[in-house]
This record gives sequence, structure tokens and C-alpha cells, in this order.
Amino acid sequence: MLKRISFIVLLFCLAGSSAVAQTTEQEADLKAVFLYNFTKYIDWEPSTENDFIIGIIGNAAIEKPISEIAKTNTVNNKNIVIRHFNNPEEIGACNILFIPYGTTYPISSILDKAGHGVLTVSEKPGMGNQGTAFNFVIKENKLKFEANLKAISDAGLKASSQLLKLAIIINN
Amino acid sequence: MQVFTSIIVVSIFAGIFIATDIKDYKTRKANSVASIAHIISANSITPLLFQDNNEAKKILTELKNTSPDIVNAVIIDSAAKIFAIYSRVDAGPLEISHFLNGKTTEFSGKQLFVSENIMNEKQLMGKVLLEVDLSELEAIKKSRYEMAVILLLAAAVLSFLIASIVQRYISRRLLYLVDKMKQVSVTGNYNTTIVDNGKDEIGTLIRVYNNLMEQVRESQHKKDEFIGIASHELKTPLTSIKGYLDLLNTMEERQPNKQFVQKASDSVTKLERLIKDLLDVSKIQSGQLQLNIKEFNIDELINETINSFQMVSESHTIVKEDGLHYEQVLADRQRIEQVLINLLSNAIKYSPGENKVLVKSKRDGDHLLIQVRDYGIGIAKDELSEIFERFYRTKDSSVHISGFGLGLYICRDIITRHGGTIWATKEPKGSSFYFTLPIQQNSVTNPSSNNSNN
Repeated sequence: MLKRISFIVLLFCLAGSSAVAQTTEQEADLKAVFLYNFTKYIDWEPSTENDFIIGIIGNAAIEKPISEIAKTNTVNNKNIVIRHFNNPEEIGACNILFIPYGTTYPISSILDKAGHGVLTVSEKPGMGNQGTAFNFVIKENKLKFEANLKAISDAGLKASSQLLKLAIIINN
Repeated sequence: MQVFTSIIVVSIFAGIFIATDIKDYKTRKANSVASIAHIISANSITPLLFQDNNEAKKILTELKNTSPDIVNAVIIDSAAKIFAIYSRVDAGPLEISHFLNGKTTEFSGKQLFVSENIMNEKQLMGKVLLEVDLSELEAIKKSRYEMAVILLLAAAVLSFLIASIVQRYISRRLLYLVDKMKQVSVTGNYNTTIVDNGKDEIGTLIRVYNNLMEQVRESQHKKDEFIGIASHELKTPLTSIKGYLDLLNTMEERQPNKQFVQKASDSVTKLERLIKDLLDVSKIQSGQLQLNIKEFNIDELINETINSFQMVSESHTIVKEDGLHYEQVLADRQRIEQVLINLLSNAIKYSPGENKVLVKSKRDGDHLLIQVRDYGIGIAKDELSEIFERFYRTKDSSVHISGFGLGLYICRDIITRHGGTIWATKEPKGSSFYFTLPIQQNSVTNPSSNNSNN
């Protein structure tokens, strides 16, 4: 329900404007919202899949909130399906691949498996430089994200300038 | 009146014009600010989605350059908390209340408040709120009012000028007409026509007036003609009657026959005199009265006249008080005699029961002054100038006076033609009649053939 989302956004707006340090749960909720919102600003490649797939490799705090969002929202009229991968070998077709903070696998192996048309999103400082398309960071107590333009274009995707305006651009 | 009207009209129109102008300005302003709000709103969606206050603030701060009349610009989120705000350097405190009353455009005091919802896929994400300073409008209003006042003044002056010109044009002609009419009523001269070539109502009025005067002239002319004819016709048989009566008078010695003839003769004489007067008046009116100017001794004339009067007047004694002896005048002897006779006869007529009439003469500078005084019923003050008018007979009904009332009219005509003046004054008992005769020889006038005056 839209009301639900509004409530969540409201919650996070309050959270966002206060100077109190975010809890991990709040942070995860906000990241989930951002992640969902990213999808509106990306030119996705045409896909034969009926669903919009968000893959998560390993355990991520984001899984719970993004699953909630997936229940009631769509991307380009496609239902959102959350897939959990345990290791890089299990990575299958998806549109977004989320790489959690605590991931132990080498990033290169994950990126190789991700392949064309997949938007890689991470949440650890420095990951952006390592090649993920978007990387969540905390700056001055606020949730921000880095955008790696090369990674985005290598994945064959295009991000709206409106989104990139808000991002911390990485260009290498 | 015209000035007042035009001031009111100009005020009304100026008022309407200014009001419309201001309304238009407000509408345009509101529209343009709404456009700005809309653009900001569109650009705020992403920052709101990603909670980027800075980015939102950047958008608002642009207003500093693009819209210097925006005092405060705020983006609030769906919880009505301020997400980003821009305030102009001199901005006062922001009143959010203005934006939450549901109106998208509100003119309040010297400010304009515009708000716009930020919608993303049918979801309300927040609002853009713009507060605009209307000092530009104030400046416009001021200049409009100033212009209106100037216009009003100009209108007043202009309408006053036009009114006075038009009025003068109309009044001038009307006053000219009135003036001419006054002249005519005073002089009794109906011969003048007024020239006016106007094609309007006043022109018609003047034309009608001229026609009217024409009619009056006609009637006057007929009347004078009639008097002339009548007196002439009457005179002829009268002369015949007089002739036969005189003859009878010499032939008849018996009484009472002789007395009868005498009385008849007296009546005829009286009648003769009346007709002669009428004839004189007619001549005067038609400008035919001629003066026969010669030099003669005035004193001699006075003596002669008194003597001949004394002979027929049994009741009164005419006393002459001395003044002149040797003065010569250049005048019509017969006419001056006529004046004297008239005055004396009046003096006697209007003092029945009295027995004295006084005649005085003296030299007064360059003319002679002659006075005839009676001790009779006198003349009322307000009638003193009226008595010289044609056909005027006294209103005093205590005495029955015979005659047409033409005597003094003729006297006046004669004296004025000689360049003198004649008037009457009221005495304690009775009246005095004075006339002057200039001794200079240039002052005697004769009418020319086409001069008609009275």
C-alpha cells in the first residue's frame, strides 16, 4: 500500500533531519527505499524475464525491508522478486545485485558473475572504487551513495542525471 | 458644471482602468510565480526521494539570481517539516501558516504566497512554498495614481477651457441679443435687426426676434401713418368750421347767440390745438419735423407770450421775474413759443383755484435757463420723467385734465433738437418746469431725411 510507503518515508524523513545517529535497522530500511527508488532512474535493458529480480549475495540487513517493498511495488509493471544467493557461483539472472557490508567473497569474483545488464549495489566504503555501480556511504550522518560511472556503463546501463546529481561521482 | 462632470467621469474611468491594470498585474505575477513553483516542484522530487537537502537548497538558492522579488522559498516534506529553505537577505520571519490554509495563491498585505504540491506518481511528497514581495506592485500603483491625478487635473483644466470657450460662444450671442433688446426697449427704436448666421437654436431665436421686430415696425409705421392721415383729414373740415364760426362771430351781435357762437369757437380752437399736436407728433415720429432757425430776442418772445396768455387767462396772473434783457438766440421762434405756451397752459391747467404763475429767466454760463412755476397740485416724484412720454397723462385722479398728453413730448423733442434740456421738479406746492437753450450756434439740430429718432 502506498500509505505504508508514505509512512516509511515519513519515518525516514524524520530520521533524516535529526542529528541522532542512525541505527542499523533504520539505515537498512532507508537503503531499501533508496534501492527501490534507484530503479526509477535507471534505463534497464529489455529483459525476457517476467519479473524484476533483486539478488542479494550473503546476509544483508536490507533483505527484510526490501522484501516488504517488493510485496506492494513494481518496477516497470513487473513484480519484484528477491533472490538470495549464498555464494558467487549461485548468482543467477537478476537486475540488481546487492552486495552486503559483511561480504567475504572477493569483489572481482562477484562482479564477474554479475555480468551485463546488472546493477551492482554495495554498502561498504571503498567498494565504489572497486567497481560497484552504486555504493551506499554515510556522510555527515546522512545516507549518501557513490556512483561509479564506468561500472554503470560497463554494465550496459544508463543512469538519469537527476539521480547522478545527488550521487558522489566516481570516475575511474 | 461641465468641469465637475468631466472630473467625475475621468475619475471613474481612471479608477476602473487602474483597478483592471492592478488586477492584471496580480494575475500575471501569480502565474509566473506559479510556474517557478512548478519547476522547483518537478526538480524537488528526486532530492526528496533521496533526502538530499543540499541539492534541494541549491535549487532554491538559484532564485536569488532569477527572481529577486522572492523573499522566502521553502520546500517542506510530507510531514510539513522544512526540507530546504532560501531567504532573501532582507527577509522577515517566514509564516508557514499562510501555506497550510489550502490556497495555492494568496495575496496578503504586501506579499504574494504561492504554494504547489510536489507529486510523485500520485503521491504527495511535499510542497513548494514561495513568498513574493510585491513592492514592484506598490511602485506601479503609486505611479498609476500619480498619473491619474495628473490626468484629472488636466481633464479639469481642459474641460474648464472648453466649457468657457463654448459658453462664451453661446453666451456672447445671447448677451448680444439681450443687449440689443434692452436698447430697443429703452430707445423705442424698432428699426434695428440683429445679424447672426448661426444654424442652431440661437440663430432661430434671433431670426424670430427679427421677424417680430419687423412686425412691430410695421404696426408702428401704420399707426404713425394713421395719425398723420387722421389729423390731416380732421384738420380740413375743422378749418372750415372755424372759418364759418368766425364769420358768424363778427356777424352776430345778439345775445345769447353771440355767446353760443363764442363758446363753439372756443371749442373749435381747442380741437384745432389738439389736432395740431397730433400732427406734430406724427411729424416727429416720421422724422419730418423741421426747424426754422433764426436769430431773435428771447426776452421779447417771453414778454409777448405772457401778454397774449394774460389776455385770455382770467383766473391767473403770470408774473415775470427779471433776468434777461438783451440775449439773442439762434432758434426756431415759433417752436420756442410753442414750448412756452405749452408750459404756461399746463401751469394754469394744473393749478385750478390758484392765481399765480411764475416765469423766470437767467443766463447760466453758455446757455439760457427758463423756468415756469405753478402752485398747483404738483407732480409725484416717480412721474417727473414719465410726463415727457407720449400720451402720458397724470395718474392723479383728483383733477380732470383734458388733452391727449402730447404737449410735453413735443416740447422735449423741440428743446432737445435745439441742443437744450427740459425737465421738471417738485416744489413744496406745485411744480417747476425748466428748459435750457444753448447760446452757441452749432448746437441746433435738424433732422436729415432718413434719420428717425425720438
